[in-house]
Amino acid sequence: MAGMLDYIQFVLAPQVITGLALGVAVILVALGLTIIFGLLDVINMSHGEFYAFGAFVALALGWLGLPFWLLLVFVPIVMLPIGYLVERGLIQRVFHTGDRHVMTLLLTFGLGLVLEDSLKLIFGPNPYRPDTPIRGAISVFGIFVPSYRLFMICVGAAVIAGVALVIYRTRLGAMVRASAFDRNMAASLGVPVERVYAGTFAFGIALAGLAGVLLAPIYSVFPTMGRDFILLAFTVVIVGGMGSIAGAVAAGIILTQIQAISSLYISPVWSDPIVFGIMVLMLMMRPQGLFGRLGHA
Amino acid sequence: MRINKQMLAVIFTAIAIGTASAADPIKIGVVTPLSGTYAGIGQQVRWGLELATKEVNADGGIMGRQITLIFEDEEANPSVAVQKADKLFQVDKVDFLTGTVNSGSTLAVGQTAERAGKLIATTVSFADSITGDKCSPNVFRVNARAGQQSAALAAWLSKERPNAKVFFLGPDYEMGRSTVAAFKENVQRVGGTVLGEVFAPLDSKDYSQYFGQIRATRPQVLYTSVAGNDTVRLFTQLAEFGLRDELTVLGASGTVTAQNIGAIGKAAEGFVTGVGYSAEIDTPANKKFVDAFRAAYNKDPDLYGADSYGLIYAYKAAVEKAKSSETDKVRDALRGLKWQTPQGEKTIRAGDHQTIQTMYVVRVTDGKFKIVSQVPGEEAIGPNACHRF
Repeated sequence: MAGMLDYIQFVLAPQVITGLALGVAVILVALGLTIIFGLLDVINMSHGEFYAFGAFVALALGWLGLPFWLLLVFVPIVMLPIGYLVERGLIQRVFHTGDRHVMTLLLTFGLGLVLEDSLKLIFGPNPYRPDTPIRGAISVFGIFVPSYRLFMICVGAAVIAGVALVIYRTRLGAMVRASAFDRNMAASLGVPVERVYAGTFAFGIALAGLAGVLLAPIYSVFPTMGRDFILLAFTVVIVGGMGSIAGAVAAGIILTQIQAISSLYISPVWSDPIVFGIMVLMLMMRPQGLFGRLGHA
Repeated sequence: MRINKQMLAVIFTAIAIGTASAADPIKIGVVTPLSGTYAGIGQQVRWGLELATKEVNADGGIMGRQITLIFEDEEANPSVAVQKADKLFQVDKVDFLTGTVNSGSTLAVGQTAERAGKLIATTVSFADSITGDKCSPNVFRVNARAGQQSAALAAWLSKERPNAKVFFLGPDYEMGRSTVAAFKENVQRVGGTVLGEVFAPLDSKDYSQYFGQIRATRPQVLYTSVAGNDTVRLFTQLAEFGLRDELTVLGASGTVTAQNIGAIGKAAEGFVTGVGYSAEIDTPANKKFVDAFRAAYNKDPDLYGADSYGLIYAYKAAVEKAKSSETDKVRDALRGLKWQTPQGEKTIRAGDHQTIQTMYVVRVTDGKFKIVSQVPGEEAIGPNACHRF
């Protein structure tokens, strides 16, 4: 019995909670990805690099003396015009060509490479680590959780709820969903579709940047960090249903919990094959994902 | 007048050729990475060899013959290394060859050397197999191998923390598994307890998922052989979960390096590892070496620079003992050779061509490695696993 309690206290419960923190991190990255896909029908291959970009912007501003709390607000605001310009200046140029999917995929892939190498040129290849803004840990029933992870879970949940609220409950969100469902009809009803597109892309990029700020103290900052979450984030988007916010949340939590719990019993090397195996099964059995597309449900 | 000048030139040339054949330079080929990921290591190798060569040449060379170094870039790629080594043996007719960094290059160039009937020595490669089950009569190693590092660390552990309870965390590939296996064996040999092991995929994001398993076994010591960015994350997350203060963290010599120690910051404090050289070694010989190195290159020597520097003196001692630079005679002279290096006296074991040397245990204190203890060479060397000669 004591052994059992010990196991729950030391192993199982912390595993579930750290899995949850990882889940929130993945959802934050996947959220921007799924919104951009759902609305623009663009697979943003440079999303991971924008996540890294956000982390580096936070790092540089941190050196200038800005406190972490301001960075949480400031970095997404810096990312917004960058995202807007990328959509208007680059993506719109190839958006209307016949093979839009291939063109935008290649374009954003190339952009990601340029971004990654730029970061390498400016900051060098070595890692940096910003200080953890909240030190210490909380112990409940002997279950040990670092305070910053709890903070991350809470902020992440708030951001996800906020995004869902904007998309599903505001006039702005209605315009976004209308543009996703039928851009011509929306345009004829007076929705400024072009600006909605660019704005939504910018919003997705800002979310990636925010994820960068939040995760930097835990995962450290280096130019290739964008590759860390991107595969898992893509999997979450596919399993959840491309463009679905609720789907991304559900898939993000389920997949990271499967990873966390399974790595207790089988070699952690298998956690990636399990997750990608689920993705393949999902594509075979239910290609639309757990939930439907943005604007279609 | 014109004819006289030409005559003079001919005479001078004849004299020059005459003296040259009396004291042909000894040619040492250096196949080392001068570009790419390992360029930093290749740079230290080059500096160490050049400094020793300059000293030896200024002092009259080896038996009156000057040393000439011929460098080739191997790009840390075994197949390139083999081509470059072949060129050095066949075209440049070098007497001896050194410089290979990654263990694959050393093994491959060793076979080239066997075919060419020449000797090589590595001053960098760690893999135990080079002087173990894949040993070659033509290959010598003048630096400490992985097994020596891990034995030194275990000897320190048994003194500092007798009967320690140790948990192992390694990256899931060849290097990680072999370092963990080697240290596990050493821990058991000195009476420690192995509580468990976990292998995390390379480039893991989050090590906290293994902390539950680690905590549940209540270890005193954590041994890890992750490297690069992975170390930064592991140490950060250990600190975040309060484990860094509870545990003594030991590791492989590549776990915490100049490349990542800055980013790890405070969490690196107290990390302990075993190495064959440190610029901190407090002997007159080493002080003299470090000063000369700094004066020449404006950088501190690391283990690669020091071991490469020492090699030139080993070769000099062997050639002088053999009174020849012929392969078979030099091989006999190198076997069992004792010679002086910045880190003290080293001995080449005749049975496997592995150098026996004093090992050092270093600990991170205020962001820098400081020597905390040394282990006599005999205690760290381990058994001879070479059966080819």
